[in-house]
Amino acid sequence: MAKVAREVVERAGVDVDQLVELLVKNASAELTTFYYYTILRVNLIGLDGEGIKEIAETARIEDRNHFEALVPRIYELGGELPAGMKEFHDISACPPASLPADPTDVKGMLTVLVEAERCAVRGYTQICHMTAGKDHRTYDLALAILNEEIEHESWFSEFLGEGPSGHFLRRGETSPFVGKFMK
Amino acid sequence: MPDLPRIDRNELAGRDGREGRPAWVAVDGIVYDVTDLFLWEGGRHWAMHDAGCDLSGDISRAPHGADLLRERGRVVGRLSEP
Repeated sequence: MAKVAREVVERAGVDVDQLVELLVKNASAELTTFYYYTILRVNLIGLDGEGIKEIAETARIEDRNHFEALVPRIYELGGELPAGMKEFHDISACPPASLPADPTDVKGMLTVLVEAERCAVRGYTQICHMTAGKDHRTYDLALAILNEEIEHESWFSEFLGEGPSGHFLRRGETSPFVGKFMK
Repeated sequence: MPDLPRIDRNELAGRDGREGRPAWVAVDGIVYDVTDLFLWEGGRHWAMHDAGCDLSGDISRAPHGADLLRERGRVVGRLSEP
């Protein structure tokens, strides 16, 4: 634990135990989403699915990166990950992004993907609200993740016909916002 | 939403989602059943909100509105004052 780093956040008025619980729940959501997106991605096949596969893969890798970036902050603040993977899975901040019963239902898969991203957008927005002006390091991290989650949401939303994302697919390295926390 | 059953605060408090009890929350006078929602498992939402409570004061700071409760939960009544 980074004793002073935790203390300054507490003194700024943040309930650090609550914040750590949220960070752990979101770390779980990221790693479990990485897992479930793997299954979705391999099932995104055929004329409808292939076009979505690349953004699903980018979102999958970036969600794993979010997990990697969250873990150090959890421990800095005196938290820890559960010892068991099953327990970790079950405390996720977001529902499982499970493959639809019909694995050829591409629209169903897109709906699962966009709902997962929307859960994440709400979650990191909440963490930004809690930490803005109080816990600069967690805020910076949550904001970086939020930037990527918003992009993921807009990519999948575009395929569902909800309007243009305004983006082109990711070029170069993944995690343009979160990458700085992974150096 | 006319003719909704009146629910008092004691009744609401008993629906705290713990030990298998239903999870209800109130927002702006409307009581929602959120028992079956993943994000309310165990009667707790996002490590900061508890079922059985009036969350009217919290919703304005939340990253969603009561519309999400209407969409995903179930309206069960109207909170009687006080």
